[in-house]
Amino acid sequence: MKEVISMWKNTRMIILVALSAAIYAAFLIVFKGGIPIVPGVTEVRPANVFPPVFGLLFGPAGAWGSAIGNFIGDLFGGTLGVGSIFGFFGNFFLGFIPYKMWGATFGLVPKDDMSQTTNTFKKVLAFELVALIAAATCGIIIAWYLDLAAIVPFAFLSITITVNNFAAALILGPILLVLLYPRVKRWGLVWTDIMVKEDVAKGFGKTLGSILMIIGALGGLIVGILVAVGAADQTLYGFTGAQGQVAVWLSVLPFLLMIILASFMLSGREQFVEEEED
Amino acid sequence: MDAEIYIDNNSFIHRIDPRVKIILFLLTFVAILLFQDPIWMLPITFLIVIQLAISGAFVNMRRIKYILIVLTVSSMILWNLFSSGDTKLFWIFSVESLTYAVARTMLMILMISAGMILITSTRNEELVNGMIRLGMPYRVGFAISTALRLVPTIVTSTITISQAQRSRGLDLESGNLLERLKKFLPLLVPVFISTIRSTNIFGMALESKGFGASEERTFYLDFEMKTSDYLVLAFGILFMLASIYFAIMGYGKIEGLVRA
Repeated sequence: MKEVISMWKNTRMIILVALSAAIYAAFLIVFKGGIPIVPGVTEVRPANVFPPVFGLLFGPAGAWGSAIGNFIGDLFGGTLGVGSIFGFFGNFFLGFIPYKMWGATFGLVPKDDMSQTTNTFKKVLAFELVALIAAATCGIIIAWYLDLAAIVPFAFLSITITVNNFAAALILGPILLVLLYPRVKRWGLVWTDIMVKEDVAKGFGKTLGSILMIIGALGGLIVGILVAVGAADQTLYGFTGAQGQVAVWLSVLPFLLMIILASFMLSGREQFVEEEED
Repeated sequence: MDAEIYIDNNSFIHRIDPRVKIILFLLTFVAILLFQDPIWMLPITFLIVIQLAISGAFVNMRRIKYILIVLTVSSMILWNLFSSGDTKLFWIFSVESLTYAVARTMLMILMISAGMILITSTRNEELVNGMIRLGMPYRVGFAISTALRLVPTIVTSTITISQAQRSRGLDLESGNLLERLKKFLPLLVPVFISTIRSTNIFGMALESKGFGASEERTFYLDFEMKTSDYLVLAFGILFMLASIYFAIMGYGKIEGLVRA
């Protein structure tokens, strides 16, 4: 997590935070309605493709940009509320997890080509994996908090946010990365070109960290929904059931802690290999 | 679309120190969450309505009226679905569940109103400057302030690019989910490229002006807490403490409400 703080001493990283936040917020505002999946219940927001793409290209700047961009989207969209607080953290992880996990995707991204693009089938799979984990993490963070505050049921919201986040990334993400990476690389704006390797967290047990991150995100989503549906009588696509139930937030809490632990275990330094070989 | 929400006014709310407004905004959130019964939410509702009127934020509330209508209607129906009470009215409605639904709807509308008052009466620079003076690191504040300033520009260029692509035959409204999502690519790529390409020049311009050279910052925009600011802050804190006291004493609950 060191780079999340150390990036603030680099002017270009600060600008990338501002620009990515502004782009994300602008798309959230312009296409606020989105494309309905279940009319009146959930929709796909095309802007949600940006956080994982920003995360991979701009590293910690992309994570901060996603968090701030979502907050500004709420501010300008007139929906600034209690959910915006955990919306900030959820969207931070939506940009944070992709770059942290990119080099620890069980060999899908080869050590001799860590470039943050989807130029091979394996890298497309790696992108989809990290985008799914990030989407689920964002979903359980926001839903856990809003259920705890008895505002929206966990089962409904966690699956809605996960689907929202992942659908756009699944379809648009790989194409967008292939199109954008060469230009961003040429301009010297990929985060590994801007930051110094020593400013990035060393991490420890990266493969285990990656496994913990997957269990934390998907486990939290599945167990949380099962407990919410079983113990609190909630339904997946409805507002039924009880909220603020101890069983729901206690069952999800260990998975959230697992995600935080995995964040410290994962590094991102391995993506600097390419530059060293040059 | 006009993304500028700040209204240039000289109201009492506009003149309050941004730091005080940020603190009051956070206190309002806590005060709203303390009570279940809408009757007990009336004092904070009254204060928010007064602020909406003085600051002129009703104009902006009208701009999001459709969001508010959808929120109100869905909230009034849905909150009755998972709460019930002893005093049955008809179908899923009981006096207790209806009261609770009104309270939850008020909670959402009041939170949105509180946010709207803050951004209607506070310039972006004041808001960020206030956050910095309350302890936010300057560089973070600078990023937020720059992003806030750029959003209207990028919204405008997104709409321009969207219209240009539509005039060339792009139809965002037809096709299945996959086809419709793919159609967003001709919008996403140009907006991203045209914004990000300025990063290096922006960075050089900032560094040539000494950005980051010193940790100690001075500000052109200077605030000084006035007596009225202290009074408003003291009132806010007292109101908050009184609300917490009544909540701890058990007031503001709905008797007979079953949330299941």
